[in-house]
Amino acid sequence: MMITRIFAATAPEGGELPNPLLPADYDIIWSSVIFVILLTFFWIRVLPSFKKMLDERAQAIEGRLAEAEAAQKAAEERTALVEAEQAQLRAESSSIREEARSEGAAILAELKQQAAQDAERMVEVTKASLSAERDAASNALRAEVGALAIELASRIVGEKLKDDAVANRVVDEFISELEGKKV
Amino acid sequence: MDAVNIAELTGNIAVVGYGLAAIGPGIGVGLVVSKTIESIARQPELAGRLQVTMWLGIAFTEALALIGLATPFIFG
Amino acid sequence: MLGLFAAEDGEYKPPTIYEFYPPAFLFEGTPFELNRIMMIRLIVMVAIIVLFWVWTSKFNKAVKTGNVVPGRFQLLGEMALNFIRKGIAHDQLGEKDGERFLPLLTTIFFMVFGMNITGVIPFANIAGTSVIGVPLVLAAVAYVTFIYAGVRKHGVRFFTNALFPAGVPKPFYVLVTPIELLSTFILRPVTLALRLLMNMIAGHLLLVLCFSATHFFFFQTDGLFPLFGAGTLVAGFLVTLFEILVSTLQAYVFTLLTTVYIQLALADEH
Repeated sequence: MMITRIFAATAPEGGELPNPLLPADYDIIWSSVIFVILLTFFWIRVLPSFKKMLDERAQAIEGRLAEAEAAQKAAEERTALVEAEQAQLRAESSSIREEARSEGAAILAELKQQAAQDAERMVEVTKASLSAERDAASNALRAEVGALAIELASRIVGEKLKDDAVANRVVDEFISELEGKKV
Repeated sequence: MDAVNIAELTGNIAVVGYGLAAIGPGIGVGLVVSKTIESIARQPELAGRLQVTMWLGIAFTEALALIGLATPFIFG
Repeated sequence: MLGLFAAEDGEYKPPTIYEFYPPAFLFEGTPFELNRIMMIRLIVMVAIIVLFWVWTSKFNKAVKTGNVVPGRFQLLGEMALNFIRKGIAHDQLGEKDGERFLPLLTTIFFMVFGMNITGVIPFANIAGTSVIGVPLVLAAVAYVTFIYAGVRKHGVRFFTNALFPAGVPKPFYVLVTPIELLSTFILRPVTLALRLLMNMIAGHLLLVLCFSATHFFFFQTDGLFPLFGAGTLVAGFLVTLFEILVSTLQAYVFTLLTTVYIQLALADEH
């Protein structure tokens, strides 16, 4: 029964019971005034600086992130540079080694060739000298053999064959005959 | 008090009215909350959204009880 | 005047509706009449302004010094403001529209919360929202705002969309349109105001009931009756906790519902 009495309390001095659903004019006025003041306060002062602070913070955090990113990028670049240098050096050394190897091979080949040439030349020289000696010997022999033969023939044949021209022709014919036989 | 009356009731019938008006919303709020709990148990990752919806549901349901509380002022 | 001291003579006196009509002490009879509840409202307003003024200067200082890490006190303010900004406005309306209506929503939330919580603050002991002025004004503001949002976005089509929802067969409009009219344009603001007002009235009456009963049992009864007083005291304590919860919840629900109404008005199709 309490609730009933709450709502049905006797009005003081015969006045009518107030209805809590009907606003009094001062009630509405004070509520509106307070609302407008608070709205203006939040709209103009609190929220703009709150938003500004959040933006600033987001920016600062973003800036720091960008900084870190840049630093990382720089480090990466440096690493890449070092690596490239290393690769270059490695390539260079390997190319030098390759070059040296090929150069050595070339030198070896050259030496071999030279040796071969030398040998060939020596052979040729020897051959030439041999043939020259042989020629000389054969010429000398030819001359001597001719003279001896003529002497011998003239001794055998006598005075008839003293004419030199005839004698030389006969000897040459004889020698070429001999050579023909030899071949 | 009359001798015929064994038990006498005093008071306002509006109180009984409010008692009746509170039954429906009471059941309603219970249903809203129980269904929300079931849903959260099923999909805990949606808990945040489900709770917002639950408060909305409670607010709408509860309004009926509060309208019941207000009727004595309107029709009293 | 406080109802806590309602029982003066031997008989128990329950709280009455006059709890909410304390005598005026300033400008009596004028439209600027000040009574205890109006005074509490003004004090709450000043408290909110002072509190947020301090927070704002913290924010400004943080911007000026480029300090990114907020202190504990500043963090509390950020959490409070972000609760509306992120938790309600951005969540329901999206970034763009959320920012547009943010000042209104923030004001509604902190005004309702500040005036609700005075119901359990000692020496105030009555919620500033337990008289219909504040709920009514805020509900009217919410009403005007969601109609403004709808008309701004859809023009006259806002009303036709709301009253003649798409996908309903034409003859049913006879039934649907009055219901829509009632629920959208009449019941929404009425329930908004009533929900807050009635919660606060009922809460205050419960508190007064418990504490005046305690007072009555302790000081006006003999024998074993004071034991009941212990029970009612515990009950009053529990109701106080409950009222703290209700204060927060009602502020949240009021703001959330305003946001949802705006969102429904902005939605393309109903």
